[in-house]
Parts: sequence; structure tokens; C-alpha cells
Amino acid sequence: MTRIDHVAGERKTSGVSLQGVNKWFGAVQVLGDIDLDIQSGEFVVFVGPSGCGKSTLLRLIAGLEEVTEGEIRIGGRDVTDADPSDRGIAMVFQTYALYPHMSVAQNMGFGLKVAGRSKQEVTGKVAAAADVLRLTDYLDRRPGQLSGGQRQRVAIGRAIVRDPDVFLFDEPLSNLDAELRVEMRIEISRLHQSLGNTMIYVTHDQTEAMTLADKIVVLRSGRIEQVGSPAELYDDPDNLFVAGFIGSPKMNFLPAEVRGGAIRVAGHPVPDPGLRSRPAEGTKLLLGIRPEHLRLAKPGEPALTVTAQFAEFLGGTTYLYGAVAEGVDCVMEVDRSVDTRQGAVLNVTAMADDIRCFGENGLRLR
Amino acid sequence: MSSATMDPAVRAPVRARGRGRIRYHRLLFHVTAVLVALLFLAPIFWVVAASFRTPAESGQPPLPPWPTQGFSIDSYLRLEKFGQSILHYSGNSLFVAVGTAALTIVVSTLAGYGFSRFRFPLKGLVFLLILATIMVPFQSILTPLFLLLAKLGLQNTLIGLVLIYTTLQLPFSVFMMRNAFDAVPREIEEAARIDGVKGVRMLVQVMGPLVLPGVVTVGLFAFLNAWNEFLAALVLLTDQSKFTLPVLMTAVRSGRFGSIDWGAVQAGVTVMMIPCLILFLILQRSYIRGLTAGAVK
Ligand SMILES: Nc1ncnc2c1ncn2[C@@H]1O[C@H](COP(=O)(O)OP(=O)(O)OP(=O)(O)O)[C@@H](O)[C@H]1O
Ligand SMILES: [Mg+2]
Repeated sequence: MTRIDHVAGERKTSGVSLQGVNKWFGAVQVLGDIDLDIQSGEFVVFVGPSGCGKSTLLRLIAGLEEVTEGEIRIGGRDVTDADPSDRGIAMVFQTYALYPHMSVAQNMGFGLKVAGRSKQEVTGKVAAAADVLRLTDYLDRRPGQLSGGQRQRVAIGRAIVRDPDVFLFDEPLSNLDAELRVEMRIEISRLHQSLGNTMIYVTHDQTEAMTLADKIVVLRSGRIEQVGSPAELYDDPDNLFVAGFIGSPKMNFLPAEVRGGAIRVAGHPVPDPGLRSRPAEGTKLLLGIRPEHLRLAKPGEPALTVTAQFAEFLGGTTYLYGAVAEGVDCVMEVDRSVDTRQGAVLNVTAMADDIRCFGENGLRLR
Repeated sequence: MSSATMDPAVRAPVRARGRGRIRYHRLLFHVTAVLVALLFLAPIFWVVAASFRTPAESGQPPLPPWPTQGFSIDSYLRLEKFGQSILHYSGNSLFVAVGTAALTIVVSTLAGYGFSRFRFPLKGLVFLLILATIMVPFQSILTPLFLLLAKLGLQNTLIGLVLIYTTLQLPFSVFMMRNAFDAVPREIEEAARIDGVKGVRMLVQVMGPLVLPGVVTVGLFAFLNAWNEFLAALVLLTDQSKFTLPVLMTAVRSGRFGSIDWGAVQAGVTVMMIPCLILFLILQRSYIRGLTAGAVK
């Protein structure tokens, strides 16, 4: 850890804030009205489907793209028009983007060299970063002679050596195989703990987002859908999109209707989720229930009937895929002792607290 | 015991047939390659061999091409005696070729970088126009070029020749360099921007090494074309002391009594080939990489 302290130097970490940021590429609006506050030292993850503007948002913060409208502040300083090298950021690219003609040491030290630091200082910082990332034996190699994981570590090392206020990562792990990805994820997480910098991380993998983030920003089509801690987004999604995006397997969405004073799915009443304003008779709703919240009903309890289709046995858990009604599929976590043969009919219910209601417009009803 | 004796007997014919097929293919490949190589080497051999004939023999019918009446370097001596020394003319050629290569590299690198990485109005059209000039045979614009040079006061100068050669070389070179820059991932440049690299430093320290194969290709082409070019040099240079080697060859030709001194011509051509061969052999690795850049990932 002392080595890491040495790398970090005396840190004045700083938050990032975006106000009313819009980005247009020609006539196409890619980001709209982004307001975001990132606290100093926070690990923030941008998630969203492909093409939603995550990378663009990160590149705006990095200064690699110009904002069309709005303001970006890093550590309280307005950097909207500042050069990327003057923003106190460092970025790790998906493709690593190492300089192929330089050795690992030169790659890591290039930024400092350009900034005119002394050779001694550069060598010292590179050595310290290499030590943290276990790259000491590879300092003289070219990037072409390294494995994918090692290259990614060099890219991270290059960022560390710059001693930035804010680290930016754009899908840094997506070129690695599954095992290495988990390993590097833990490494990045550890790095965040020891360096304490603000880190912004882009991914479309919600597992990565959940495991790494202090705060997740869910984006869709250039707009922020919701911001919150992983637990907040998981437990308390604002809308259908966030509810469906976070969590694996996905949350079940069951079409329901208010009839006879009760919310019914395929005619069966479900436990009352206790909405503050009761929807009117005949209102159509969507009920969101996570697979682990569906459970077998006790005899006599009001329940939905689920017809089993197939099951996935994962060792610790079993996921049962079935249908609540014609064309309404659902997934539930069951005990391995449950009969999951095709065609088996199960009576299923959930706790009232675990049921989320969404209006037809996709917004959450509370 | 019995299996030990049987095994080789059973397997041998199979193996032999398999190896035979491979040998046959390789033989065919090598024979073809040798034939093609011979085809290309034959004229070179012819010239070099003929340059060593004796003066008496050098005017004889060229079959066989090699010296039959003894080996002689007299042709080279006669070449040396013509006009100023051959070194002087080699110097002219070298100046023109190196000047053309250098100027072409500088201009096409800057232009290729611009076309690859900057946005400006009418970029597509301008690039197309540059490429389109390849389709104009340069002989047809020799007269206007000559007039242009005369206006600039550069007629009959080697600098003027360098300018003309560079102009002719640029369309291909700009195209080549744009492709070379296009093949460099944008992220590398962005990483460098974050590292604080700007302007010329970006071009020289970050992009330069990555487009080096392209630079070598462009430079080599410019050098060879300028070194070997004949027509423009013949038209533009009137002063014998300014002649480049190809023009010199025509002058040698009409040597004593107006007859053609074939021996000296062969000697001159041999001398001319040497720098090209050396350059090509030194640079061939980068050069081949440049031509196929981006073809394979
Ligand atoms: N230079 C550009 N010019 C025009 N449109 C662009 C440009 N860069 C990105 N876009 C568009 O902006 C949108 C957002 O792109 P962005 O790269 O930010 O998506 P993303 O969320 O990072 O997606 P992915 O997960 O696939 O990386 C896309 O629709 C893309 O087509
Ligand atoms: Mg992206």
C-alpha cells in the first residue's frame, strides 16, 4: 500500500459536475439535458444499451468531444473549453490505445515526458505504477509482445502515472475473456479503494455496473433514466427501463388490471402493493416482480398459476421458466426440490413489498 | 515381431505417395518462380555483361551479350571521360532524386494527415481532384509546366526539375499517406491528446512512427521515379553540366563521329542501377509493409 501512496502523491480529489449538457452530431442529438453531480472519490458507472451515448458522455468529460451546450466542471473548475490534458483526467480505452512503437515504460511515462518532467521523476513514477500493476518484468517490452490483460494493465498504468483527479474508463474489459474480466474488475475495484480517486466507468454490462459502482447512471437514447446506488436502482427503479435493465435474470413484467377493487393478473388477485393513490377501476398496469421474489404459495393463499416450461439448474439456484397465462412468460428462482418438469403447474405468489407497479407509460406508480 | 516387420511395409507406399504429391507441388512452384525471376533478371544481366565488352566488340551485334574477346572496363573509362566526370552527373541525379523524395515525403505526409484527420469544406471533392490528376498523362502537360518554370525563372535548373517531379509524384503519395493515417486508430491519437501532445509533436512523435512504412514507400517511389525519369529532364535541361544520368545516356550515345557508343551506354545503365538496388534492398521490408498496410489486420 505504501507504494500506492507514493504513486498517488498528495491528492486533491475532485468531483465532476455536468449542467444542462447537450451534444449534437450535426443534426442528430446524441445527448440531451444531462445534469449530473459526481462526488469526489466516487466510483460512478454509466450503463445503458449500445448507442445510448455512454461513450460520448465520457468523451465530453475527457474533452475529446466538444459540448454543444452546457457546462462541465471538474473539481469546481469550469473545464468546458479546456484541453484534455488540462482537465486533470486520464482515460483508459477499450482498445487500450497504447503507442505500439514505444516500450511499456515509455508508454507509461510519455505523458510526463511531454509535460517536461525530469527523467528521474518519470522513471520513479513508472516504476511505482509498474509495481502496483505487476508489470515490472515487462517494462522493456513492446505492447505487441503482451497479452490482452497485460496490455490493459499498461493502459491503466499510463493513467495512474498521470496522477489524475478523475479516471475515465470506456469499457476497459470488454476485449478480455470472461475469467480475466472478473480478475481485472477486482483489480480496478482495489485500485479505487487504495487511490481514492474519482472514477467514471462506462459499460453495457449490468453485472460490472452493479459490482463496481458506488453510483450507477442509467442512460437510454441520450437521456439519464435514473441515478442511484446499485441497491437503490435494484430495489426502487423509477421506470420500466431501469427495472428491466438492472438485475439478471431480468425482472418479470406481468400485465395486470384493476378489477373488483383488487389488482389482478390473468384474473387472479395479487397481494396489494399498497400504492399511495389507488388506481381507478379498469386501469391497466404492469407488475414488476424479480425472479427471487416469486415463491410457491401456501395452500389456500391467493396465487397465480405458473405452467413450467423448462428449468436451468445452476448449482446453488434453479431458475424455472414458465408462463403465467397465454403469452405472459415469467422466471422464478425455485428450490431444487420443486417439480420443474414441463407442464407442471405451480401456485405462485410474492410478498406485497416486493411488487413494483408501473403505469402504461412505463413510469413507476408508488 | 510380425507387426514390427509388417508395419513399415504397409505404411511406406502411403507415405511415399503423400510426400510425392507435396514434392511435385513444391517443384512446380519453384520452377515457376525461377522462370519468372529469370525473365526479370535477363535484361539486367544483359546490360551488365555487355558493359564489360572490349571497345571493338561493343559495336558488334549483341549476340551473345557477354564479352567474347576478353574482359574489359574500357566502356566505364570512356563513360568517365565524357563531359564532366560521371560523379558530377550522378551528383545531379542524386540531388534531384533525394530532393524529390524529401519534398514528396514532407508534402504528402502533411496532406495525408490533413485529409485523414481534419474536417474542412469540399474535402471529398479536393481529394478526388488530386486523384484525378493521375489520369492526365504528364507528357501532355509538359509544355505548360515548362512555361510555368520559365515564368518562375527555374528553367534549366535542378530545383525546377525537383518541383516538377514532386508535383507528378504527389497524387499517388497523398493517396498512400492518407491510407496510412487512416489505418492508425483514432484512440491512439486521443490518448496522446490526453497525454498533452499537440501539433507537430503529434505528427512526429506519435503518428510518425506508425506511418513509417507509408513514408518509406512514398519516398522510395519518388526517389526511383525521379532517378529514372527521362522525358521531363530532357525537355527542361539544356545545359550539359546540369544533365541527370538518363539524359547523359542519350548524350553519350551520340559520342564520337555521331555514332552510338553502346559500350558506354551499357556501362552508364549499370552505374545507374546500383543506387536503386541498394535502396530497395535496404528498405524492402518497410516498403512491402507499406503497400499492404491495412490489407490484413
Ligand atoms: N462522431 C460521430 N458522428 C455522428 N454520430 C456519432 C458520432 N459518435 C457517436 N455517434 C452517435 O452517437 C450515439 C451514441 O454513441 P456512443 O458511442 O456514445 O454510444 P455508446 O453508448 O457508447 O454505445 P456502445 O455501448 O455501443 O459503445 C450513437 O447513435 C452514434 O451513432
Ligand atoms: Mg461506447
